[in-house]
Amino acid sequence: MDRQVDVVVVGGGSTGCGVVRDLARRGLDTVLVEKGNLTHGTTGRMHGLLHSGGRYAVSDQKSAEECIEENRVLRDIAAHCVEETGGLFVKRPEDSEEYFQEKLEGCRACDIPVEVIDGEEARRREPYLARDVEKAIALPDGAVDPFRLCVSNAADAREHGARIETHAPVTDVLVEDGEVVGVEIEHETGPGKRVHREPGTTEEIRARHVVNATGAWAGNVGEMAGVDVEVRPSKGVMTVMNTRQVDTVINRCRPKGDADIVVPHETACILGTTDEEVDDPEDYPEEDWEVDLMIETLSELVPALEDARTLRSFWGVRPLYEPPGTGTEDPTDITRDYFLLDHGDRDDLPGMTTIVGGKLTTYRMMAESISDHVCDTLGHEATCDTADAPLPGSESEARMAELMDEFGLRSPVARRSGQRLGSRADDVLDEYDPNPIVCNCESVTRAEVQDAIGEAGSDLNAVRLRTRASMGNCQGGFCTHRIAAELAEEYPEPVVRDAEDELYQERWKGQRHALWGEQLSQAMLNHLLHATTMNRDGDPANLDEEVDFGAFDDGTESPDAGGTAGEAGTAATDGGRASDDAAADGGRASDDAAADGGRANDDAAADGRRASDDATTDGGR
Amino acid sequence: MTRHTEDDGDAGDANGTTETSGGRDTGGCGCGEPAPGVPEAGRDEQPSIFVPDEGEVPEADAIGARGSGSVDSGGAAGDPAAERAATDGGVESASSGSATGGTDSTELDPDAYDPVDVFPGGDLDLREGADSCYKCTSCDTSCPVAEVDDEFPGPKFQGPEQWRLKRKDDHDIDESITSCSNCMRCDDACPSSVPLSQMHNEARGQFVERQMEKLSVEYIRNRILANYHTSASLASMFPRTASFAMNFGPARWAMEKVMGIPKERDFPEFATETFREWWKARGGAKVENPDKRVAYFHGCYSNYNTPEVGKAMVRVYEHFGYEVMVPPQKCSGTPMFANGMLKDARRHAETNVENLVEAIGEGADVVASCTSCSMSLRQEYPELFDLHGIDDLAEHTFEALEYLRIHEDLEGELDAAGGLDDEREFAYHAPCHARNQGLSRQAVETFRDVDGVTMEDVGDSCSGISGTYGWKEEKYEKSMEIGAEMFEHMEDADGEVGMTECPTCAMQMEHGTGYEIEHPLQLLEQTLGA
Ligand SMILES: Cc1cc2nc3c(=O)[nH]c(=O)nc-3n(C[C@H](O)[C@H](O)[C@H](O)COP(=O)(O)OP(=O)(O)OC[C@H]3O[C@@H](n4cnc5c(N)ncnc54)[C@H](O)[C@@H]3O)c2cc1C
Ligand code: SF4
Ligand code: SF4
Repeated sequence: MDRQVDVVVVGGGSTGCGVVRDLARRGLDTVLVEKGNLTHGTTGRMHGLLHSGGRYAVSDQKSAEECIEENRVLRDIAAHCVEETGGLFVKRPEDSEEYFQEKLEGCRACDIPVEVIDGEEARRREPYLARDVEKAIALPDGAVDPFRLCVSNAADAREHGARIETHAPVTDVLVEDGEVVGVEIEHETGPGKRVHREPGTTEEIRARHVVNATGAWAGNVGEMAGVDVEVRPSKGVMTVMNTRQVDTVINRCRPKGDADIVVPHETACILGTTDEEVDDPEDYPEEDWEVDLMIETLSELVPALEDARTLRSFWGVRPLYEPPGTGTEDPTDITRDYFLLDHGDRDDLPGMTTIVGGKLTTYRMMAESISDHVCDTLGHEATCDTADAPLPGSESEARMAELMDEFGLRSPVARRSGQRLGSRADDVLDEYDPNPIVCNCESVTRAEVQDAIGEAGSDLNAVRLRTRASMGNCQGGFCTHRIAAELAEEYPEPVVRDAEDELYQERWKGQRHALWGEQLSQAMLNHLLHATTMNRDGDPANLDEEVDFGAFDDGTESPDAGGTAGEAGTAATDGGRASDDAAADGGRASDDAAADGGRANDDAAADGRRASDDATTDGGR
Repeated sequence: MTRHTEDDGDAGDANGTTETSGGRDTGGCGCGEPAPGVPEAGRDEQPSIFVPDEGEVPEADAIGARGSGSVDSGGAAGDPAAERAATDGGVESASSGSATGGTDSTELDPDAYDPVDVFPGGDLDLREGADSCYKCTSCDTSCPVAEVDDEFPGPKFQGPEQWRLKRKDDHDIDESITSCSNCMRCDDACPSSVPLSQMHNEARGQFVERQMEKLSVEYIRNRILANYHTSASLASMFPRTASFAMNFGPARWAMEKVMGIPKERDFPEFATETFREWWKARGGAKVENPDKRVAYFHGCYSNYNTPEVGKAMVRVYEHFGYEVMVPPQKCSGTPMFANGMLKDARRHAETNVENLVEAIGEGADVVASCTSCSMSLRQEYPELFDLHGIDDLAEHTFEALEYLRIHEDLEGELDAAGGLDDEREFAYHAPCHARNQGLSRQAVETFRDVDGVTMEDVGDSCSGISGTYGWKEEKYEKSMEIGAEMFEHMEDADGEVGMTECPTCAMQMEHGTGYEIEHPLQLLEQTLGA
């Protein structure tokens, strides 16, 4: 029953998405399988730096050259995923002059355009830089959005006939007669429109070739096929600030070390990182000292970070690979290069190739080389055009100003939407009414949320990654329910509730590492809103028993009559209070009611949440 | 950063008081060596015309007797760019221009800068302010404009959200910022000290600077409203004609049609003798007291329109033995902030700060009779400008009644004075800007126990005029809608005389109810028999 396809690509990170796009464009029948949503692995937990190559210009010039080359390509084909921020390597007094010169030479040798500027000039460009920064090298680092990048790759692949299967982990690699012939996947229950088969069932996908692009998990998949892939996963922390203290990528100009880079990403700044080898890419400790180290050390470059608000922290694992026998001690010394392991040549197991290592910046180049290899193996003649063909969304400049007028969006909202959607903005905003804004912090319109639901189904975390909804200051406190409400038209209530919980939990997870200062207040407010105002932990809709509405005071009986007290003790005391208040307030209460009445209606239209909040409090009155 | 702009010279020349601090022995006769605060020459030492940054403020008589004649005079003043570069620290040289005229980053002293000041062109970077917002929405629920205007997204969006979404290089501010009336109620509502009004002011400044059509009627109208000071000083040269002409006939019609000033509004009457004229004729201060000195910031309105407030201030303060100084001064900037004219405001601030700081140096505290003026000197000045001494000034500034309540035994004095023989009843409205300074109850509390005086607080709603907001035709209805609650409560109150500290609130109260409106200082003068 299961037909054979040309290639199965395992892993929906940047590498896998890049490969499936490339192969699909070359005319091969391809399936991508991913155990979570796209970018579920390292790609969704990386720093967002579009390398200029500067970071590797001394230690690893081959990587540096690849970076600058791909940096140029991505600016071109993925304009809506890239922000051209520029970057600085800054030198503090204690940093070595010799290394500064080496870095400079290295960049020049790798054809990375550089400019040396003095401290004054550096501070003019980035006013929050520390006063004792002596000088800096300016180069074309940038910021890249991994989510948008992967989604665009997958969307393009789908347009070229590929099948994209998320929430479908590979549970086995099929080996027959000493040859890999496909994979077995399990269709997980859980949200997501891409459940093509019955949840809980397994499916065999037979393929002429399997590409293992599971990054830090490559060893696990290798194991399923009976081969060794020595990935040495190494974790790194990233701390997200609430605002952008800098608009340029700031690197510390010293050999290597933890906490040496700040990347402006969308509305935030992301601090990074550490490099610690871990045993299991799924299960490793997330330690507080790592977060403290980020803030402390990077404050040496940007003092304002010390007191600024952090939203959350998250960790990723690098899929570092070492050919057997290299035996490097320190993970920071392991090469950042990528490796293509043809298991036919290597392990005498034809039918599967693993690709590991590398960087997001060079994902396309990695994809090209593995696609070349696969085509070779399959005897398929086709050329690669991924370096020239723009990704969906990057075909043309979005008409920001016009969009704003046309769709009645406020300018920062239109600007953000336009930047996120790129050339798709027109279509998306045309199809749905953009207003109201669903996520205020990140200015995400209803149109974008609906569009993302159309693509990702009921998986609200996937919706979040596509739109940035719930990624601002409130971390979902004020919008998870609004986003979930957008599902309600299409999905049954239990699915909507689960999806809402899942998103809220995911947002909470990252905030655990930022529970001080402002974010602690935020978390507390969120908690009280959800726990008390919305009563989410005791929501009758989630309880098994029917609600005894008779037990509530419906307010029709005169509150001053002590006679009602018999029904319930609490009702009596509350009732008493209410009437006191009413008496004290006198006419004011009714004035307010009148004034509020109009407002509540306005709000209902503009702001679903407020209306429901009001309803709750009003009910209590 | 130099504090001098081109028109400072005029101010100095015209009154000659800025450089006097030693010769105070002549006792304020206005001749010979001038005493502090005593105007020396001219009808009024405040120059009525200054050289603006881009084109002149269209002359006040555009809204006066000559109707719309000078609407197109926007660019007539010649380009003062050359001198400006020399006198203004080169701020203007940045091609992007500057909304605030802040520090020029090219002359940055690495040891003495505040990061928020150093964005190119002097723009403030207020993204940090967004860190304090936890989205509770208290600000939105207390915004009087959001309550009546569905198109207005509210302070949370205008402030922390819009700023957080900003990038260093994008100067795109949403147009809705012009709907904020700068009542600052959101500031007061925020439990987390988000600098909302500072964000609004800066955003509005950037919007007006970069995105507003400079020759548009709206811009010119706003500039005229913002520069009330200029119009008023011209009008008060022919006060009766001006009062008449501005309210009747073709000029009035032209104002509405051409300038967008609502026909329902009556222009305030201009006094036949300004406060400063009176002060000069009086020979300045009657009390000399090096230990108890106040510098009076009268503001434009009590100078040109309600000099009786200024006179009451002088008499009350002299009653308590204070030496009153009246330093040269210009507009406090309140109407300019509300219209995004930060450059105008800054220029005026330079004069004000210089002269008031000098008075502080002579031992005075600064006292204002208008709550918006005191608000501006205390909060907006240090938030928006980086002038020498500006923090000092903020610290030494008080509202007139507030100051007396701090330093004098007002209750005892009022008690001793014995109250009024003829019963008087007032409907008191606390201006929003008084609320922000914690002064919303001061008048009621002061007169609570005074015999013969009944004062009822008409509630905490906004009067709706918010300075110049209610003077714009497109805002008129909203303004009256906001004010409706106050009008209603005024009608309900027993008093038939209104009372408030703010002159524009007073206009609105009068407009909505027909009541006469007094300032607490006038009542204080009366009850003290000062
Ligand atoms: C802390 C940190 C910071 C980084 N910063 C940068 C940077 O700034 N710039 C840059 O260019 N690079 C950066 N990188 C490197 C970059 O993130 C990675 O090289 C890149 O994302 C790897 O992508 P990938 O597709 O190979 O792996 P992944 O993104 O990990 O993709 C593998 C996918 O396989 C899936 N998978 C695993 N097992 C199975 C299974 N059994 N069945 C189905 N699917 C499975 C996983 O869910 C996962 O989605 C950083 C890495 C780290 C750790
Ligand atoms: S200053 Fe007043 S009008 Fe402006 S946003 Fe704040 S509350 Fe609203
Ligand atoms: S009141 Fe303050 S904290 Fe609350 S939403 Fe408004 S700005 Fe944010």
